[in-house]
Amino acid sequence: MKLITAIIKPFKLDDVKNALQAFGITGMTVSEASGFGRQRGHTEVYRGAEYTVDLVPKVRLEVLVDSAEAEKVIDVIVKAATTGSIGDGKVWSTPVDNVVRVRTGERGTDAI
Amino acid sequence: MGTRERRDRSDSYDRKLSGLFISALSESKISDKEIALAAVGGYGRGELSPGSDLDLLIVHDGSAREEQLSQFVNALLYPLWDSGIPVDHAVRTRAQTRETAADDIRVAMGILDIRTLEGNADLVSAVATDVIEDWRKNSKKNLTKLRESSLERVERSGELAFLLEPDLKEARGGLRDINALRAIAKCGEDVALDRLSSAEALLANVRDALHGVTGKGRDQLLLTEQDRVATEMNFLDADALMLEVARASRAVDYVMDLTWHRIDSKKATGLFRKSKSEVLGKGVIALNNEVTIESKPQLQNDSGLGLRSAAIAAQRGLPLSIEACLALAENFAPLPIPWPRSSREDLVTLIGAGSAMIRVFEALDQEGIIERWIPEWAHVRFLPQRNVLHRHTVDRHMLETAVRAAKLTRTVHRPDLLLVAALLHDIGKGFPDKDHSEYGEELIRPLALRMGFPESDADVLALLVKHHLLLSSVATRRDLDDPATIEYVTSLISEPQVLELLHALSIADGEATGKTAWSNWKAGLVADLVDRCIISLTGGTGIAPAEQLELTPQQLSRLDSKALTVTISARDDAYEIEILSPDQAGLLSAVAGTFSVSRLNVRSARTRTVGDAVAMNWIVTLDPNATLPSEEILTETLRKAIAGEIDLARKLEDRISNYRKAPGIPVPPPVVTATNDIATQATVLEIRMHDRPGVLFSVARAISRFGVDIRAAIVSTLGAEAFDTLYVTDFAGEALSEERAKLLANQVESYLLTQY
Repeated sequence: MKLITAIIKPFKLDDVKNALQAFGITGMTVSEASGFGRQRGHTEVYRGAEYTVDLVPKVRLEVLVDSAEAEKVIDVIVKAATTGSIGDGKVWSTPVDNVVRVRTGERGTDAI
Repeated sequence: MGTRERRDRSDSYDRKLSGLFISALSESKISDKEIALAAVGGYGRGELSPGSDLDLLIVHDGSAREEQLSQFVNALLYPLWDSGIPVDHAVRTRAQTRETAADDIRVAMGILDIRTLEGNADLVSAVATDVIEDWRKNSKKNLTKLRESSLERVERSGELAFLLEPDLKEARGGLRDINALRAIAKCGEDVALDRLSSAEALLANVRDALHGVTGKGRDQLLLTEQDRVATEMNFLDADALMLEVARASRAVDYVMDLTWHRIDSKKATGLFRKSKSEVLGKGVIALNNEVTIESKPQLQNDSGLGLRSAAIAAQRGLPLSIEACLALAENFAPLPIPWPRSSREDLVTLIGAGSAMIRVFEALDQEGIIERWIPEWAHVRFLPQRNVLHRHTVDRHMLETAVRAAKLTRTVHRPDLLLVAALLHDIGKGFPDKDHSEYGEELIRPLALRMGFPESDADVLALLVKHHLLLSSVATRRDLDDPATIEYVTSLISEPQVLELLHALSIADGEATGKTAWSNWKAGLVADLVDRCIISLTGGTGIAPAEQLELTPQQLSRLDSKALTVTISARDDAYEIEILSPDQAGLLSAVAGTFSVSRLNVRSARTRTVGDAVAMNWIVTLDPNATLPSEEILTETLRKAIAGEIDLARKLEDRISNYRKAPGIPVPPPVVTATNDIATQATVLEIRMHDRPGVLFSVARAISRFGVDIRAAIVSTLGAEAFDTLYVTDFAGEALSEERAKLLANQVESYLLTQY
């Protein structure tokens, strides 16, 4: 099993969610995040004052999937989240030892 | 369920306990002279809800031995415990009870409702007498404790009327507050208990139904259980149920507020000092730390008195007296349509008072006065909303939004429109087949016109209400880097000033909704969107300042004569004063000061220097105790003031310092900005502040002393909110250097800060 984490632009959340649902993924965790990568924030000039937006608002999305599907799910996310401009985000996967569904106690891939 | 059932339940436990008492006596061999069984708390009042504990006090005279007593208690209580009845009991002598009650306010409050069930009634009445005597004697300490615990409960459980999932017992306005009020009454205080009986019955019934439905003793009415409780109590639906719950708890809340207020003002004035009244405005006085109406008959022919007294009360941070609210409801005189400017200003002043406004607004709403001014309000009053993001009912959410908007008034050019939009942004809610933003737009336009706003302002209000969710939804769902996103927003909101208003409204709305709806994350996205839109709309120069006065040909031709002329004409409930004068340093402060001395309150003004002459158009209102000066007298006073023959500063000192001493509410600090305007080659000073009498005089004087020339001024006051734009130049007629402009802004701002 893998945990797929994606950092994407906020406005792309709906697209990614829809694409994942169309792919058959039923559950995900979404949280508000902020940070920067190569983009390094940007400088704004507003009302004469210059200020630096060093942390860019992003959305963090997490999905648990069967290892066999991980690559395909990553593709789905990447495709849906792309705008082609800087700051589109990143997607990565991490191996997961075990998963338990709290309500039923099911374990492993059954719990996904 | 109902009061009847609670009494029956209490009676049946009485019978059960009486049987148990007799067998416990015989088992423990205690005589019924030595001991008594009493009910305390709710059970003491003879009312028992299905989930309530049986609160019992066993009083003994100390003659029985320890093991006899424990035998007695076991025999009495085991049968109850065995049948799963929750019991809360204490075994004490008279002295022990007195001691415990003195230490623990909850024990004392329970005993205030004590009732003998069985045994020696003299023991029980002795206990009751002790506790009541001590309670009265220590009423000051008890009241403090009661208030502390009540405040702590609001902190923890919030307010019943406005929460979507309230705790019927603990929340403000709930059952525990009713108990507290009863205890306060027993301290000998004046409590309007008669206003509480139906509220108490309803809240207790709902709690019983909740306990019945859940089978548990929990008092929080969750969304998931509201439907079943509503069915159980034969309400049409959960909304109808929650509406009644809100109504009941608001009544409790109101009595609570009133009671504390009366206690406080008694403390403040003392028993022997005669209370002094202070006139605060026409027909409005402060008495015993409350704002009230001077005489009832006045209400009949002064329709503006209600809003005026509300505005004054809120700005002073004082409550509006219950007598004033009752009198208003009884002798209600509708405002003329459209509302006169003064009433519109009073509304803005009321809303702009921040959290102090809520108490005044609630008092008026309790008596149904708000909906007589704003009929649309009736529909959202107590209206629950089934939405996971929201915490409050619709009406309270709008009040909370207005409170937050009041803190943002310095960020916009039209604080009045921000406040009115905040108060009414969800007015379209509660119509199932309609989108609330769109329907809100339909409702607000005629309402704004009725309030006397000009068409252009009504348009802005309609736009704000219609699009109050636009910025949040676009900022989180659309690509801010995409020019199409910015174009989309600016196509809907093409005025930078409206965008600025919409931004402030979004913040106020979001903050009032709750943390889940408005995080720093979201605030950042929205701010980014607004910045990009404003840059796109203004080309990066920022929002254009207010436009200068356009002179009429007549004015221009009269300017040539270089003589000081004053023309006064009546306009609605105000006066328009036109002044033409040769230009002179300090002219603006001299005119503003003269008006203040003549008790004319400046509502708005536009002035402009053309060549070496100045044209001024002022709109002023007359102080309630003043008479309008004639054109001749005003011209003469002005001439003297300009020539420096009158010491305006000294004349105004008293008036200004008197006003400053008045107890008030915290208001956002003044904000002064200076930017250089290319179009007019002047430095534009924008001053946003809370209005005070004489403040324009002092500001203008401070600016003149800085050694700059005021070429034009646009002054606008709506209610307590003032926004002044001054075009200043150096004596060569050029804009100031950037550093000097900044220094001027700082100086004016720090000067204004000393005034607060």
